[in-house]
Amino acid sequence: MIDISLEHVSKRYLIRQEAQIDQRRPAVLHKLLQPLRRPHEFWALRDISFEVQRGEALGIIGHNGAGKSTILKLLANITTPSSGEITINGRLSALIEVGSGFHPELTGRENIYLSASILGMKRTEITRKLESIVEFAGIHEFIDTPVKRYSSGMYVRLGFSIAAHLEPDILLLDEVLAVGDAAFQAKCLKRIKQLELAGTTIVFISHDLYSVKRLCSRVLLLESGRIIASGDPGEVIKTYTHASRIAHTESRNGLSFTNPNPDPDLQFEVEQVDVLDRAGRLKQELRTGDYVRFRIVWRAKEYLEDGGVELGMYTENGVPLIRYSNQPISGFDIAFRPGLNTVDLEFQQFPLTAGDYILSVGLSRPMIAWLHRNDNFGALTVGQGRIFNGEYLLTSDYSVMAVPHRWIVPEPDLDDRELTAPGAVEIL
Amino acid sequence: MTNDIVRNHPAGSTSRKQKVIRAIGFSPRSLWPSLRELREYGDLIFTLSVHRIKVRYKQSALGISWAILQPLSLMVIYTALFSRVAKIPSDNVPYTIFAFAGLLPWTYFQSVLSNSTNALVGHSSLITKVYFPREILPLTYVIAGLFDFLIASSILIVMMIYYRVPLTANVFYTIPLIVVLTLFGCSMALLLSASQVRFRDFGVAIPLLLQIWMFATPVVYPLSSISALPDNVQRIYLLNPMVGIIENFRRVVVRGLPPDFHLLSMSALVAVVVLPMAYLYFKRVVATAADII
Repeated sequence: MIDISLEHVSKRYLIRQEAQIDQRRPAVLHKLLQPLRRPHEFWALRDISFEVQRGEALGIIGHNGAGKSTILKLLANITTPSSGEITINGRLSALIEVGSGFHPELTGRENIYLSASILGMKRTEITRKLESIVEFAGIHEFIDTPVKRYSSGMYVRLGFSIAAHLEPDILLLDEVLAVGDAAFQAKCLKRIKQLELAGTTIVFISHDLYSVKRLCSRVLLLESGRIIASGDPGEVIKTYTHASRIAHTESRNGLSFTNPNPDPDLQFEVEQVDVLDRAGRLKQELRTGDYVRFRIVWRAKEYLEDGGVELGMYTENGVPLIRYSNQPISGFDIAFRPGLNTVDLEFQQFPLTAGDYILSVGLSRPMIAWLHRNDNFGALTVGQGRIFNGEYLLTSDYSVMAVPHRWIVPEPDLDDRELTAPGAVEIL
Repeated sequence: MTNDIVRNHPAGSTSRKQKVIRAIGFSPRSLWPSLRELREYGDLIFTLSVHRIKVRYKQSALGISWAILQPLSLMVIYTALFSRVAKIPSDNVPYTIFAFAGLLPWTYFQSVLSNSTNALVGHSSLITKVYFPREILPLTYVIAGLFDFLIASSILIVMMIYYRVPLTANVFYTIPLIVVLTLFGCSMALLLSASQVRFRDFGVAIPLLLQIWMFATPVVYPLSSISALPDNVQRIYLLNPMVGIIENFRRVVVRGLPPDFHLLSMSALVAVVVLPMAYLYFKRVVATAADII
C-alpha cells in the first residue's frame, strides 16, 4: 500500500534580481522596465520520483539548498510542483512551525478552535479533544486569557499540543522537534512513537543525522534537487558525510573548520572550530594520543546568561563517540557575550584512533532549546599515533578508542609477591 | 503531461481520501475538485467567519453598531448634498429613504471589495505554513459583509415604517438580487485578492475605483437620470452589472414595483460568467502564492 507517491516532480522558482542601476538613466525608467526583465530561473527539484509505503518511516537528508524544504512544502501542499504529480493517500499533517494562526486578541480556548480547524479538525472533534489538548500543553489556568499574555514557552507548547492531537494517516516532521524543556520534549517524542506504533506513515526531513538514523527505516539523500542515494539509513548517511568531506577545505595553515552552512538569521552561531596544540597554535595534523585543544568560536548577537556549548565526534555511521558540553554534561554555565566568544575543550591524550570522524557543534539554552546545531560541521581525519608499546598501530576499523589501560599478568607459582611480571605493559 | 500512469494499489483497497497535487491547468473542469474540497472545510469557513466578525467588533468601541452607522451616515451626507443642495429627483419617494435603499446594498459590495483585497497578503504567515483552500480567506470577508448587510437592513425596515412606505410582495425579489450580488461580490473578492499577490500596488487603486464605480451606478440618483446622456454612453453605462442590482433593489423594496427583468438578467449573466473565470485565475495565482508572498 503506497501512501505517498511522487512522479517526475520538478519545482522551478523564478527569482527576480534587482538589476544594476545605470546612473545615467533616470530612476523612473528603471522602475518601469523592471517587469520586462526576465527573471532568473532556479530549479529546486529536478525530476524527483519516490514512494512511501504505509507505515514506513522515511528520512530525507541533504545540504541546505538541496531541496529538502521544497519537498516539505510540496507534500504539505503549501505550493504546487512546476511539473509532475504527487499523490497522497490519507490525511497528512505537518508538525512544522507550530503556533501559526494564533490571533493575539483571542483567548487560548478560542485560538485552539481557530488553529485546530485550520489544521483540519472538525468542531466536534475539537470539543472532544479540548481537555486533552489543554492538559498536554499544561496551560489549564490560562486557557481563558488572551494569548498575547502567554510566555513564549506556553505559546509553543499550546501550538505543539494542538498539532500533536491530530490523528493523521501521514505525519510530516522537520527540525521543529527541539522545543520546550526536556520533559515536554519527552512527551512529544512519546507521542510520535505512539503514532509510529499505530502504523502512521512518517516523513522526517532534518539535519539531525542521529535522530534520522534512530527514527527512520529508509533514508533519501538529496543533492541539488536530485535524489542521489536511497536505502539503508546507515549506508546513506555514510555516503552523505563522505561526500561532505571532499567539499570541506582546510584553511589558515592548519586544522580549522569553518561553518559550512552559515545562517545570518541566527542569534547565536558557531563560526569555527580550531584544532590547537599546547602552545595555542593550529595543529597541522591530529594523531591518536596527542595533546589537543578544540577551540570553539561562536558569535552572539545578544547577551545570554547561561548558555550551553557542545562539541561532538561521530563515526560516519552516526554513532556518537564523544559528545561533551558545559551543560548538561560538565555542570557549569557559560555566559554568551555579544560578539565573538570562545571556549576550549582539552584532551591530554586524544582518545580516538586513526580514521575519519564527523565533527558536530551545538549552542543551546541547556534543556530548553537549541540555538544552533550542526551535526555535520566538519570532517575530522585522525592520523595514527603511537601510544602503546606493540607493533600494531591502532586504526578506527580495529578499535575506535585508545584509552589508557594496563594488563595485569599473574605469575603461576607465586607466593605473595607483587602481581606485576615481565611482559606486563604500562602505557604512557 | 501524459496521464498513462498505472497506479499500483488494487481498487477499493483504501478507504482513505486520495489527493493529487499537480500544476493547475487552464480548464474550468479543474475547479470541480476544489468545490468538493470546500464542502469538507465547511467547519473552517464557519469558524473563520465568526472569528472575522467577532474581531472586527471586539476592536472597535462602537462595536456592532458600526454596521448601521456606515450606510446611515453616508445617507445623511448625500441627503444634505443631493436633496437639499442639488435637488435631485428621487422616484416619488423621500430622498432619505431613496438614498439609504441604494446605499445599503452598495455598502455591502464596497466592504467586500475593499476588505478582501488584502485577504491573501494579510495572511501571508498562514499561507506559507499550512494548507487549506485559500479561497476561504476572501470568502469570509464576503460572509462578514453579508452579516453587516443583514444588520443594517433592519434600519431600512424601521425607515420604511417611519416614512409610511408600503411593502409589497415584490420585496421577495430581494432574495435573488442578494444572491446575484453575493456571487458577483465573490468574483471580485477572488479577483482582487489574487491580483494583490501578483501586483502589490493594486490595493492602492481600489478606493478610487470604488468611488468612480459608485457614481457610475444609480446609488444616490435614479436610473432615469441617465436619459440626459448620449445614447452610446447610455449603452456602455448599462453594461455595469451593479446597475441592475442597485436599481432593482430599490424598485422592489421602496417603490413596491416588480424588478426590471432585462436589467436583472444582464446582471445575473455577468455574475455567472465572471465567477468561474475569477475562480480559475485565483486558483492559478494561489498555487504558487507561497513562493512569492
